[in-house]
Amino acid sequence: MPGVTSESGDPTTSIIQLSQNPQPVTYPVHHGLKPPLSRLSISWARGNTLRVTVLRQPQQPEDGDEESGGRVVEVKLSNNGDGEVDDAHWRRIAYGSVTPFALLQSRKNSFSALSKMSPLDSTEWLQYVMEYSKEINSLLGNPNSSPSLAIEDSRELLKDAERPTALKAAWELMEVFYADKQSEAWIPERLLDWLADYDCLFSGTQLTVHSKLVDFQKELATLQAVEDDPKYWEAISSALAIGWLDVVVKLLRLHGSYQFDQLGSRETENGLVEAVAVLISKMPRMRPDLEADKLGECYKNKPDFMKAWERWRAQITKLDSSAFWLQCERHQTRDGLKNMLQIMLGNSTSLSSATFHWLELFVAHFLYIRPFTVGLESMYNLAQKCIQIKPTFVHHKLMGLLIGILGENPEVVLAECSSSFGPWMMTHASELLTAGSIQADILLHEERPKLGGICIEELNRLVYAQVLSSHVLTWQIAPIYLSSCTRQGMGLLETVLHKQPVQHDQVLLKSIEICRLYELDSVSTNIMKISGMHDWKHGKKGSGVFWLQQARDEVRLVKIAKQLFDFVGKSVSDESFKQWEGLLELLGSESGSAGGLDFLNKYRDFRRSLHQAYSGMTNDAARKAAEALISLMKSPSTPQRFWLPILYDSLQLFNWPEHPLLNVSQTNLLLNKLQELSMARLRPDFVDADLPPEALASVRLAIATNLGRAILDE
Amino acid sequence: MALIPTADRQSYPFQVHRFPQDHYIDALRWLPQISAFHRHIVLATFDSDNSTSSLQTLAFTPNSNSNINSGSPPKLTHHASQLIQSRITSLKTLLTPQSSKPLIAASTFSGSLLFLTTDLLNGSLDCEFSVPEKGFHSGSISGIDLSENGRECVSVGKDGKINLVSIGSGERGNSKTVFDSNGLVSYTTVKWASPVEFVTGGLGFTLHWWDQRRPGGPVSQFKPNWTSGTTSGLVHSVDIHPSRKHTCLAGGSAGTVFAWDLRWQQQPIILFGAETDAQDHSLSESEVWEVQYDSHTRSSSIHNYSSSQILPAMICSEDGILAVIEQNEDSIELLAEPCAINNFDIDRQNPTDVICSLEWESIAILTRS
Repeated sequence: MPGVTSESGDPTTSIIQLSQNPQPVTYPVHHGLKPPLSRLSISWARGNTLRVTVLRQPQQPEDGDEESGGRVVEVKLSNNGDGEVDDAHWRRIAYGSVTPFALLQSRKNSFSALSKMSPLDSTEWLQYVMEYSKEINSLLGNPNSSPSLAIEDSRELLKDAERPTALKAAWELMEVFYADKQSEAWIPERLLDWLADYDCLFSGTQLTVHSKLVDFQKELATLQAVEDDPKYWEAISSALAIGWLDVVVKLLRLHGSYQFDQLGSRETENGLVEAVAVLISKMPRMRPDLEADKLGECYKNKPDFMKAWERWRAQITKLDSSAFWLQCERHQTRDGLKNMLQIMLGNSTSLSSATFHWLELFVAHFLYIRPFTVGLESMYNLAQKCIQIKPTFVHHKLMGLLIGILGENPEVVLAECSSSFGPWMMTHASELLTAGSIQADILLHEERPKLGGICIEELNRLVYAQVLSSHVLTWQIAPIYLSSCTRQGMGLLETVLHKQPVQHDQVLLKSIEICRLYELDSVSTNIMKISGMHDWKHGKKGSGVFWLQQARDEVRLVKIAKQLFDFVGKSVSDESFKQWEGLLELLGSESGSAGGLDFLNKYRDFRRSLHQAYSGMTNDAARKAAEALISLMKSPSTPQRFWLPILYDSLQLFNWPEHPLLNVSQTNLLLNKLQELSMARLRPDFVDADLPPEALASVRLAIATNLGRAILDE
Repeated sequence: MALIPTADRQSYPFQVHRFPQDHYIDALRWLPQISAFHRHIVLATFDSDNSTSSLQTLAFTPNSNSNINSGSPPKLTHHASQLIQSRITSLKTLLTPQSSKPLIAASTFSGSLLFLTTDLLNGSLDCEFSVPEKGFHSGSISGIDLSENGRECVSVGKDGKINLVSIGSGERGNSKTVFDSNGLVSYTTVKWASPVEFVTGGLGFTLHWWDQRRPGGPVSQFKPNWTSGTTSGLVHSVDIHPSRKHTCLAGGSAGTVFAWDLRWQQQPIILFGAETDAQDHSLSESEVWEVQYDSHTRSSSIHNYSSSQILPAMICSEDGILAVIEQNEDSIELLAEPCAINNFDIDRQNPTDVICSLEWESIAILTRS
């Protein structure tokens, strides 16, 4: 796995530097209980949260306060790196990336089903990847977060936009180098744009053009004659060196010679400033288009650009050797402008002194010295040269990533992604990497015996899915990623589903829904069983029976039936049977699915008809009751211990005044049952019904009498 | 079944605006409007970072421009909030004639029932009274409903209890148990039909009709005959139209939406799902979380419907569908989200506006025209 070295300890040899955090962190536990507290128990909950159980002293009865005896609090141990992206934003990114990821996977699958050709070769495929990249990129931050003002402050150099994130910067960097093959020819220009957006990220640790301009902007408000201040010329040349042409022109127009009262006396000077400004705004750019407020002239193909480039440089040289410089009296203006011309002509000393970060120098080289640089190798060499000139002492995560990309070293790229941006990046960026680099494709897709036969891509997804499933809100998107893991995804998905709590109906039903989508019938059955037993144990008998029925768990239903019958034995009077109606309704009339519980149905029918027979004393009702009795006694699902109570309840039926209700064979059946019961009483596990002691004798007598009458009748 | 696509069906213009939140939304409702210019919604949220729940009211500012395609998008601004001890399972709102402040009833997972009022002008949300967990329901309350006359709140739970809580001025907060099945039956949802009648939904697609004038048990029960063993499910939501008190509309598992007409008790009208090929295409195959009659009809008025016909209704589902359904007609899909739509609410006073909560921590507001 990238990111873990076999030897730990020596930070110089490891790919990833594990940050040592010697500062202990305190997490407050808000339990809200009054002291005294008697017990504290700590265990792991989901993900990196601790479950702290706080228990109070057992309450004294005279206390009388309604306070609970304890509380369970979850304490989150946060470790989301530098806190650049907060948890809620991370979740938003996670949610948003589901759809693009799933779409790309399904396209990939249909691609590989259609042709054996590797998707790498197809421009159509690259288009899909680019679409995916754009969508993910839009999740990482809003580029248009600052509304453009109608009247812009002429002295406002940099827009006060929302601070961009390194995460977005890293994604865009990978998009430029791996996904966006269409703009391969103008990578230098894209890097320049990238630096314009993200130069501020480096300001934290060292001086940059951005920080220089921010500082100068503060002073600008108080300056009268800007051109006399050396900082003005420094700011201009720095902005020019990294191609922020709009800022440069804006600054030049603040030059004192533009003021009306000065125009007359400083005509030549003003002419020179304007000439430089015009030259700058006409700089040829090797790119298809520019944003509205950016300067330069775009050229799409190389020959046109080269011609324009030569012409432009000739104009600069001509201006540089012009005689007007001698007439310019202000040496600050003359030196400043001359320095700018040197920058534009690619004087490496001027470029170096105008830039601060090696990346700025790198970009300056593309702009003014080697605009035709192509190929990662030459870029890498140039980068190394720039690093030598402007060494950095702080390792920035983006620099590591860029060097990895330029060095065509996917291992380093992956390692940087892993250490700096975490599992989300690893999972989603590998799509870009595999699309753009054959080397990375092999690295990510090669099966590793050390990892149990899975490839690194799958490993990344499994890790990410694990992170997702450790959170109460994101666990439900983990299946999308797990289902894209061919080897171990389904196994882990089953584990994730099994671990979901069943108390929340919504979570339970979601788990069952996920099982349905991924055809995990056995898991779904298990979850239903777990839920059924949970509900049963918590007194929700109906719900317990329902879920066990759904799971077709005959064994447990039979076990439950025994307990239910105990409950019935104790509580069923004619009035309380109303409570049972609902459950019986739920069980339905068909036997089988109820697993022995259909006894309850028959028993209910019997009680009902018995009640009618006794209250109305009609022959019809009595016959029905007798039928119900026989069907109940014939049924194998009627528990033995109910036999005697049922028969005892039916005493009046046996002694029905007008004529016997049961015929000979029916009476014999009852006698056999009675005989069986007498035998069973000898067994040690027999449970005696809660009946008067003479019950058995009186039932026997009644049945015998009925037999006699029945024989006579026939 | 005749499926006649009509012209106005094809064009059914509406606008959707999504508002990402930083927390999960357990429930949401429109608050009754007290003035034409102020519209509010109430959210029950769950913050997973600190495991806290709260109720929040948000002010809703619709499109400033009457033209739907231009103008600024609608806005939601935070108004007031109140921390709650436990997660909210059900949320209902009501404006009683006695008060200018809307009443919010919220049932919790831990089994208590809270009543709050919100002062929409000053931006406050205050707990008026509550029914504590002890002796009320054991475990979570699965559904509540407020009676239209503002007198009582009915609550049901998986524990099999049905409780009534007085909210009238006299004995507010007093609760009594109407029925206790001792856990033999679990209830998932409840809806008032009249001041004395209500209907409960439960497991196995069962519906029970209760009448307080005949206590002791349900007056009538409905258990579908289409379920055979394993295809059964839960009823998640029930609605009754004020003009059709004899018909309950219910939505539940496996994309099932059915209507139960008390006058023809054993013949439910199945609108969707239930494997009966009632429709040749299924709208959704997973849980239908909520059903509500949709008073924003394209046809001129509900009087055009015969009394045996089911009025148009809106549903939302686990597989991300928000749709308007109508008997014998094609359903109109308003939203098809990649994540579940857990709740929705149609604004009673402005039935064009629908608010729904998406599982991925966001709210969507639909404005139909």
